[in-house]
Amino acid sequence: MDLEASAGSPSARHLTRRGFLGTAAGAAGAIAAAPLLAACGGNAPAKTGSTTASQLAKILPAYQPRSIAGLTPDFPSVNGTAPGYLNYPTTLARTVSGVPGSGGSYTGTAPYWGAIPRTSGNTYYQAINEALGATLNLAPANGNLIINSLPPLFAGHKLPDWIDVPTWAQPPGFGQATQGQLADLTPYLSGDKIKEYPNLAAIETVGWQQGVWNDRIYGIPTVVQQFTTGFYLFYRADILDKLGIGTPSIKSAADLLALGKEINAPNAKRWAFDDIWGYLYQPFGVPAGAGTTAGWTINDKGDLITQYETENIIEAMNWERQLFQQGMVNPDSVAGQSSTAKNRFYAGQMVITADGSGSWNYSDAIAGAAANKGYERAAVPFFTASGSGTPKMPLAPPTEYLSYFNKNLKPDQIRELLRIADYLAAPFGSYEFTLINYGAENVDYTMSGNGPVLTATGQKDVDSGAAVLLASPNNINNNPGYPSVTKASAQFAAQNAGYGYKPLFYAMNITVPNDLTTANAFGPFVSPTNNIMYEVVRGRSSIADYHSTVNEWLRNGGTRLKAFYETVRSKYGTA
Amino acid sequence: MTLPKTTVLAPQGGPQGFQGAGSPLIAGGSGGSPPRASASWRKITRDRSLLIMTLPAAVLLLVFGYAPMLGLVMAFQNYDLYDGILHSPWAGLSNFEQLFTDPGFWQAFRNTVELFSVQLVLSFPIPIALAILLDSVLSRRLRGFIQSVVTLPHFFSMVMVITIFNEVLGGAGLLDTFLRSHGVHNPPQIMTNPGLFKFLISGQLIWKESGWGMIVYLAALAAISPSLYEAAAVDGANWRQRTWRITLPGLRPIMVLLLILNLGYALTFGFEQMLIQIPAVGPGAAQVITTFAYDNGIVHGNFGYGAAAGLFLGVTSVILILCANKVAHLLGEDGLYRTRRK
Repeated sequence: MDLEASAGSPSARHLTRRGFLGTAAGAAGAIAAAPLLAACGGNAPAKTGSTTASQLAKILPAYQPRSIAGLTPDFPSVNGTAPGYLNYPTTLARTVSGVPGSGGSYTGTAPYWGAIPRTSGNTYYQAINEALGATLNLAPANGNLIINSLPPLFAGHKLPDWIDVPTWAQPPGFGQATQGQLADLTPYLSGDKIKEYPNLAAIETVGWQQGVWNDRIYGIPTVVQQFTTGFYLFYRADILDKLGIGTPSIKSAADLLALGKEINAPNAKRWAFDDIWGYLYQPFGVPAGAGTTAGWTINDKGDLITQYETENIIEAMNWERQLFQQGMVNPDSVAGQSSTAKNRFYAGQMVITADGSGSWNYSDAIAGAAANKGYERAAVPFFTASGSGTPKMPLAPPTEYLSYFNKNLKPDQIRELLRIADYLAAPFGSYEFTLINYGAENVDYTMSGNGPVLTATGQKDVDSGAAVLLASPNNINNNPGYPSVTKASAQFAAQNAGYGYKPLFYAMNITVPNDLTTANAFGPFVSPTNNIMYEVVRGRSSIADYHSTVNEWLRNGGTRLKAFYETVRSKYGTA
Repeated sequence: MTLPKTTVLAPQGGPQGFQGAGSPLIAGGSGGSPPRASASWRKITRDRSLLIMTLPAAVLLLVFGYAPMLGLVMAFQNYDLYDGILHSPWAGLSNFEQLFTDPGFWQAFRNTVELFSVQLVLSFPIPIALAILLDSVLSRRLRGFIQSVVTLPHFFSMVMVITIFNEVLGGAGLLDTFLRSHGVHNPPQIMTNPGLFKFLISGQLIWKESGWGMIVYLAALAAISPSLYEAAAVDGANWRQRTWRITLPGLRPIMVLLLILNLGYALTFGFEQMLIQIPAVGPGAAQVITTFAYDNGIVHGNFGYGAAAGLFLGVTSVILILCANKVAHLLGEDGLYRTRRK
């Protein structure tokens, strides 16, 4: 698995409606300061300090990009896109000298999707631990359940030594947990101190910003990529070719609707769309979430409003409703079976779908080709619903996965773990990177002309997903054996990245007071069981119902939440 | 008339004498009425092997059934995950005030009652009918085969059951695909029709659980003496009369017991089933109290509120059981426990 794949697949699964709206079970963060909370009447514990831009500049680690001599990307980074490499380098450079560990033994937990590899006799773990000179006992946690398993872990003070907490799974009031239970890494990483760990120093600064809570550095960002969007609008290029349509020219929502009508054929068991709600934020200009905060924007009067109070979201709902009414959405998607969306896409039972940008990779190409020989995924360039004006794409924060150390670790142990993290963050093209992602050569993988190929043992034992989510370099785009996928996705990103913009409170961590956590969860808009937008587009609720839901949310703390965010805005700015 | 008297006394005296012999307390006891404590001690020593056998179950119940109930304190708190139940601020009854004025909660309550009732009425008689039918099959082999086939779905997870239903009845499933290929433009989308939902979930439950439920009734049928049937047949009773007069009355105690137990689950039923299918039909048709509590407690992080909904559910369930049990006693059945016979 390369980085694109390992980071892409979990995030793709999580960039569901819930992830995209950026309002997973409670926002948390660095900004909340004692006076601020007191002003809002919250009963949260007092906290000192704030993270204004100037304060951030003081503590953030220095950025020192690192490249491997002789290795240049075929598609250099444009506007923050991941650099694309068509081929996997076969001569591997070492970026870490000596053995990072000093014999310590640590437990590490990160979300994992798929069958958990064996622990005893696992050749991959053996290879990693040997290289690290320490024992890293990885305990992968079920990625689908982690949102429910993390809160009791924190509440019970039962954290492992090293834990990945996805931004969408932060327990409510995470800002309190960071101070109480997680190690403060500022003394080790702030400013030039990070240069002791050159691979960590090569992680982009905006990623580190997400790891800052209450004035201090706690989190280590993983698979950082500046140009990150919630969704792309994908289509099956091979099906459109077969239908004689070729590359569609979508310049407006009307164009998309027309294309849908043209290709929708339920009798042939082929529907035009899956539920593409997650993507409609782009053409309709709905302010999207910025990680742990929901989407905010500023109205004509200059006041903060949420995405749910905008006209844009109403327009988007009204538009998507047509797709459902006219029977253009695959019935399984109408029934809300989002987990099988990829299967429908592979089987050609729907042609246009919204999915995470990370799903455009070689494992997707393999899975798609298994179902359909000519399988080809392509994406619709960003557009505006009206067809006029410049398209805008709200950027998602550069990472959804940050790892943290347990506060009970001693300084020497923290240093040892940071050296291990530095090892894990070795760049693409290095010996270490290959080891972390593919295990030991000739045991877990063999090097072919296309790059590493997992052996039978490797397929069973290699668990790069968990290690990568503890520490990893900035994201890159490489698909061993599928250079065409790298080319298409890298070119698409480069052509569209210019439309990206940073939404309000981008990459900021904000802790809301205790009594506002419920309002800040935006339950009626994100709940998997009671989501008003989901109901409206399916025609079971009306726009009037939607308005009354918004009003009810405002009454139940929403108005106070807005006041809180206004205070944050005036004190700390919005970016 | 001494003979009848002794025959009546004999069974009573027997066990008593047996117990007394094993009890040192009795042997050494002074005359007059024994103190209360010694009476209960006597019972404990008498039943000690039985008590030891129930101990593990009692401990399990205490640890996993009763101890977690302390967490219900949350319902009266503004519960904070990090402060725990010991340090979270008290909220009085405000969680309940909010609960009882929340239209979403009453919607969930109505759904729970409606879905449960429809499901109960439709699915309760099926295992009984199956058991009676199967009991009349003479071939042992055929019986075993049928029993295996109808019991199997019980071991499927709810996710699998719903997936199978979706593959058959869903909008892209067998039925609709067949209809479409035969010129029906808008085939019925059974899986996403809120109006049909109560029948859909009943169907799922019948398919999954009827065979399993049948086993208990088969056991009860085996306990009905064949001589009753023989006598009835000799008296000229036909099959219908025998079923009505012998079989069903014979099954009545177990039916009542299962009905009461079922009622105990009335408000907690179908959590998984609903959680999976709410996206298909919407909360208007499928939100029940358990999913409501989950949604508010876990998803929205409002634990106190979720606990309040949970506590309401628990108390209501207990009341339901007690009422059902009372009704059973009035009907002359044992219900959950035996009432003192006069």
